[in-house]
Amino acid sequence: MAAIIEAKNLSLKIGDRQILRSLDLSVEKGAFVCIIGPNGAGKSSLLACLGGLAKGCCGEVLLEGKPLASMSSREAARHIAWLHQSGSDTLPFTVRQFAELSRYPWHSSFSGIVKEDEDAVERALVSANVVSLADRRLDTLSGGERQRALLAAALAQGTDILFLDEPASFLDYKYQEEMLAVVEKINKEQGITVVCVTHDVNFALRCAGKIFAVREGSLLWNGNREELLEQNILEQLFETRFSFFKTDGNKLACVVPKGLLI
Amino acid sequence: MNRGIFVLLFLFSAAVLLFAPFCGVENIPLSAVLHGSSSMLCKIFWELRVPRVLLGWITGATLAVCGMLFQALFRNDLASPDMLGISSGAAFGAVTYIRLGAEFSLFGVFPGISAAAFAGSLLATFAIYAAGNGKKRSMSSASLLLAGIAVSYLLSSLNMIMQFSGSYIDSFRALRWSMGGLETVGFSQVLTTLPALLLIVFTAFYAAPELDLFVCGEKLAASRGVSVKKLRRVLFLAVSFVIAVNVSVCGPVGFIGLLSPHICRHFAGSAHRSLTLASVFFGGAFLVLCDTAARVLWAPSEVPVGILTAFIGSLFFLWLLMREK
Repeated sequence: MAAIIEAKNLSLKIGDRQILRSLDLSVEKGAFVCIIGPNGAGKSSLLACLGGLAKGCCGEVLLEGKPLASMSSREAARHIAWLHQSGSDTLPFTVRQFAELSRYPWHSSFSGIVKEDEDAVERALVSANVVSLADRRLDTLSGGERQRALLAAALAQGTDILFLDEPASFLDYKYQEEMLAVVEKINKEQGITVVCVTHDVNFALRCAGKIFAVREGSLLWNGNREELLEQNILEQLFETRFSFFKTDGNKLACVVPKGLLI
Repeated sequence: MNRGIFVLLFLFSAAVLLFAPFCGVENIPLSAVLHGSSSMLCKIFWELRVPRVLLGWITGATLAVCGMLFQALFRNDLASPDMLGISSGAAFGAVTYIRLGAEFSLFGVFPGISAAAFAGSLLATFAIYAAGNGKKRSMSSASLLLAGIAVSYLLSSLNMIMQFSGSYIDSFRALRWSMGGLETVGFSQVLTTLPALLLIVFTAFYAAPELDLFVCGEKLAASRGVSVKKLRRVLFLAVSFVIAVNVSVCGPVGFIGLLSPHICRHFAGSAHRSLTLASVFFGGAFLVLCDTAARVLWAPSEVPVGILTAFIGSLFFLWLLMREK
């Protein structure tokens, strides 16, 4: 399959700190990819570079063969939608209004919401399972509902790539499950390419077709989940030892760092 | 967006505009305006009262929209051009112009004092930009806000030095001017400030979708395709210009820029297109009301309108805050 995102020789320096060191990466169309690594490894910076949101990023990123650098931010936003780490930003809009705002890259400054936008918003609300919350204000929602509403807005943007930055952190288990279900569904049914940054190895093992392991700004390793487990990458990546738990059917259930075992 | 609210705000604004010219040191009866076309009262009505009320309305609307734009731009409820040194910058330019006794106009139409004020507000804007955009960190709304507060204090102190060091008469002129006032004769000042209002309303309408995204977060706005850098540049420039024109005519009138966006958000919500409309009608009517009170309350002497906007505005705002709980 063709690569939808191709990055060559990505480097990023902020002040005197080298955040990314000549990193290469490519993501296939329709894939579900996770970028994992320890804190401060440069995962989020990598995602920002791939999405064209990092200032001072060197190297080349191609979106469907076209250089990202040659695109306006509006054009880039027609390809990539983001779900950022859930912050405490005040969002003074209803779920539906906020999703409608995401249609920005598709119209000029004076055109209002048209039928096509309304349809895209409606589909997104259904996909993210927030139709019942549509007219609630975002700042009245619980953390889990809010994250789902933000996901709906990202889907309303109508892109073929979705970037997730730590989508499940700070969410209770139930909400993590819901989140995951929604993202997996749109990946499978709508063929949207998902690139997800997470520090949660189990999350990556659970859903990623391909995993990129980033350490100290470099790509340490990449491959699929079976290879990750066989080659004992986790230990190198996180500098700690892991225990592996299996179900009765001898399927991998989860990994836990040895020091955190009960 | 609630249509009824806008009809109400519009009617409120229209009513204030209709009635305010009749009130003053001496109330002018309608018959004097309709029949005695050459009488003294009629002259006062058309050459003093009407221009003044219109100037007040335009100024209030301008300040309200500029305040709304700055609160969005800094993503902070305490930002407004008068809090962050843009108005002080414009005042600095204008006071310098008065002190130097300069007298010129650009292309014969744009008054020299407005040009000097614009130079001052641009100076403030560049200072805020330069300081807010330090070498080690990229520009964020928070660092811009800090820089703005510092620039505001710096320029206010320069203004005071300027007043202090001048002759008695110059100082008094500068001091009276720096309190803000809407005294005007004839329509020339209305015609100077009206294009500035139109410009800023147009800009606000144009940038509204970007601003809606921007208030939700800089990163989020960028990821949705907003060119944050361009948005900042355009809005800073437009607000500096418009504030300069206005300050050069009326002096700095405080508090409207800060308060009216908050008050309007209660009526009109946070989407910037409706907020712009609400700000125009509310800001305009509010300043005209304050100015009318300033003319009437202690007649025959007049209170500088800035004192009243601050007094009424902050009381109203406190009441709103208490009610919210």
